[in-house]
Amino acid sequence: MGIERIFGDSLITTKISDVTNWARKFSFFQYPFVTACCGMEFMSAWCSHWDIARFGAEFPRFSPRQSDLLIVVGTVNHKIAPILKRVYEQMADPKWVISFGACATSGGFYQNYAAVQGIDKIIPVDVYISGCPPRPEAVLDGIMKLQEKVTTEKVIDTKYDSIKKSKSKIKKKK
Amino acid sequence: MPYLPLLITFLIAGVITLLFLFLSIFFGPKRETDVKVEPFECGMVPFKEDKGRKYPIKFYLVALLFLVFDIEIAFMFPWAVTFKTLGYVGFIEMISFIVVLLVGLIYTWKTGALEWE
Amino acid sequence: MTDNITYVKIKENFPDSIIDFHRNFGDATITLKTDYLVDICTFLKNDPDLDYNFMMDITAVDFPERDKRFDIVYHLYSLSKNHRIRLKVQESDQNQKVSTISGVWKAANWFEREVWDMYGINFKDHPNMKRILLYETFEGFPLRKDYPIDKEQPIYDKDIDYSNMLSEGALGELKSSQKKGDKDRSFFLHIGPSHPATHGTIHIVAEMEAETIVKAAIDIGYLHRGFEKQVEHSTYTQAIPYTDRLNYVSPLINNVGFVMTVEKIFNIKVTERCQFIRVIISEISRITDHLTCIAASAMELGAFTVFFYFIKAREYFYKLQEDLCGARLTTNYTRVGGLSHDLPKNFDVELKKCIHETKVAIEDVDKLLKRNRIFYDRTNDIGIISKEDAIEYAFTGPVLRSTGVDFDVRKQNPYLVYDQFDFEVPLGTKGDNYDRYLVRMEEMRQSIRIIEQAMEKLPDGPVNIEDPRLSLPPKEEVYNQMEGMINHFKLIYEGIKPPPGEAYLPVEGANGELGYYIVSNGSPKPYKCRVRPPCFALMQGFHKMIEGYMMADVIATFGTINLIAGENDR
Repeated sequence: MGIERIFGDSLITTKISDVTNWARKFSFFQYPFVTACCGMEFMSAWCSHWDIARFGAEFPRFSPRQSDLLIVVGTVNHKIAPILKRVYEQMADPKWVISFGACATSGGFYQNYAAVQGIDKIIPVDVYISGCPPRPEAVLDGIMKLQEKVTTEKVIDTKYDSIKKSKSKIKKKK
Repeated sequence: MPYLPLLITFLIAGVITLLFLFLSIFFGPKRETDVKVEPFECGMVPFKEDKGRKYPIKFYLVALLFLVFDIEIAFMFPWAVTFKTLGYVGFIEMISFIVVLLVGLIYTWKTGALEWE
Repeated sequence: MTDNITYVKIKENFPDSIIDFHRNFGDATITLKTDYLVDICTFLKNDPDLDYNFMMDITAVDFPERDKRFDIVYHLYSLSKNHRIRLKVQESDQNQKVSTISGVWKAANWFEREVWDMYGINFKDHPNMKRILLYETFEGFPLRKDYPIDKEQPIYDKDIDYSNMLSEGALGELKSSQKKGDKDRSFFLHIGPSHPATHGTIHIVAEMEAETIVKAAIDIGYLHRGFEKQVEHSTYTQAIPYTDRLNYVSPLINNVGFVMTVEKIFNIKVTERCQFIRVIISEISRITDHLTCIAASAMELGAFTVFFYFIKAREYFYKLQEDLCGARLTTNYTRVGGLSHDLPKNFDVELKKCIHETKVAIEDVDKLLKRNRIFYDRTNDIGIISKEDAIEYAFTGPVLRSTGVDFDVRKQNPYLVYDQFDFEVPLGTKGDNYDRYLVRMEEMRQSIRIIEQAMEKLPDGPVNIEDPRLSLPPKEEVYNQMEGMINHFKLIYEGIKPPPGEAYLPVEGANGELGYYIVSNGSPKPYKCRVRPPCFALMQGFHKMIEGYMMADVIATFGTINLIAGENDR
């Protein structure tokens, strides 16, 4: 946020960071960008056997305006890559990205002309969950690792400042 | 005087709401890019809309009818609360009000304004 | 040999059109001259003795050393006479003369677009010859033998507007559609790839007037992962994990189909026990597929409880699959010549538990949905497709059966030991969403019936056949005899080598006829492995099921089609 910076790096900002991070990490609103087989394990992790609602991350919001966690589930190929980039850019800060499955992390075992060899060629990723498909326990572990990462964030962080009012790089065809 | 606590409740609620709104408008960070402010259309770039496109009138009709009948119901609530004290006179006044709107409802039904197509 | 009725009739009516005819492994193949193709196809469709009404598959094979390097392969099926035929036409790289047959069968439209996309064969007079699985600015044709497998062409870091480039094919279909939208009152909407109702990978370009969809065109290819090219670079056993990920909700059916096709080329029959186990696992996969389909489609209409009940029932099956083959979802269980290993010890006990849970879940969901006013109103008379349209677009599976056409590959072309079981095939009447829901629920009950019968009749015995070309020799031979060790070494190092030939085998997938067409040239890697995806044909005719209905009906209809993008886009 903006205004807390006037306090500098002091007790007040660390306490504000603690409260903000605690609120954020237990209320992820996910945008599941589901394409392929990992979607089945995504569904399993979200249902009654391996309930993810106990982490507060239950309800998927299928709009980037209402979500802060983009979970890329399944293979991303070159045709859907611009869509992924656009969805990521349309999400409001703060946002995190989880790369779910081997195909999203590194292309999986599809080393060919069609699959993008890892979504970190397109968008920045916070947590990688590997597996083909990952077991739901691995998904829960990934969410917990993301929660640990969120705990270490600071409000005086200047991570998002570089995103100023800028012209988008995609020019329109004449 | 007996309604003073109610007034204070509304005032506090209003002040807190406006406070949250204006705090985020003035002190919240705004990081807009070209792509972010465009409408979300499932990740695709939306089609350009032609300027000569007419807006369908059906949406307006539905909204208008809803407004009229909703206000009618809003008038019926205080009447329901004070039903006993108003007696027969109030009952007949209310029935004539409802009958006027009922005639309007039958008219819209028969002329087909309630059909979507 | 020459008593094949199709061959006889074509020879009578078009005497000098046939270049070659042969029968291999039970399939009849006729190679024709290119000029006669459209006339012969019209004849095949209209002649009352032949009556080929299903245009199942079109694909091509590339033989770069030949003068006419491409073989365009057509698979046709006749429902009333229950016979199949394969037609071939030879085509070269330049001066292409082949015409489209989308005037004869509407289903040919998208299949020919895919052949153009992958091989670069231009069909003359095609209404919309644009790429379908790849994007318009892709250069080259990936399935040709001279296209290197790892040559990527990313479009995300180019400074161009990709908005229309991705949907060129769909816009082409909209322009050539018969219906006319009012230009002043309609607008175009993307019901886009990243949408929960379209399973994240289907892009519908809809022309809408207020809330009604006047015209719609479907754009696919957002999960194209290069299955066919990848399999051409793997051995037959290495290709089996790729088949898991085709229809990923029913992976065992894909595994079974693939190995059965290779076994057809080897011309061998597997053991009794293996056949019974393959039937059991196919039906298990069918149940998981229908559970997932109904769960997802009910959730999109707002019935969350159904989703939780069915995913819970599916969890028991996933635990069973994990006990069976080690992975919950990507099973990789079958092998050419048998299975990778026999059933685990407590399989029948666990299976009984799964079936009991599924029966309870089906009863509960039936009580929740079948006479539910909201569900009924949202699915009854919505998304109707007529019998003639369904056959014209080569629909198969529960969607076709909900219109009343009785076509199930397990009954018409029985494979494995399905003819020994007593089960019914549910048929619908109207072809709307409610019928499809009922058909799927009933199919689950019938699958449970088949599994119970199979478990009773399951014979003992070995699971893999003892063929030195296919199966690994037992360890005593490997360690003690020279021949065993060399056999084992060659099988592991090089892979199995089927004799040269080609075969097409249809199995009943959960969505319809899943056919594998494998061409082998004697090498350990398949020369060509084509999957005939049931969802591809469904997507082609899908626009008929949403035009004229409102926006909210798209959600209900799409859920009941059970599109699985892994199979649709391969």
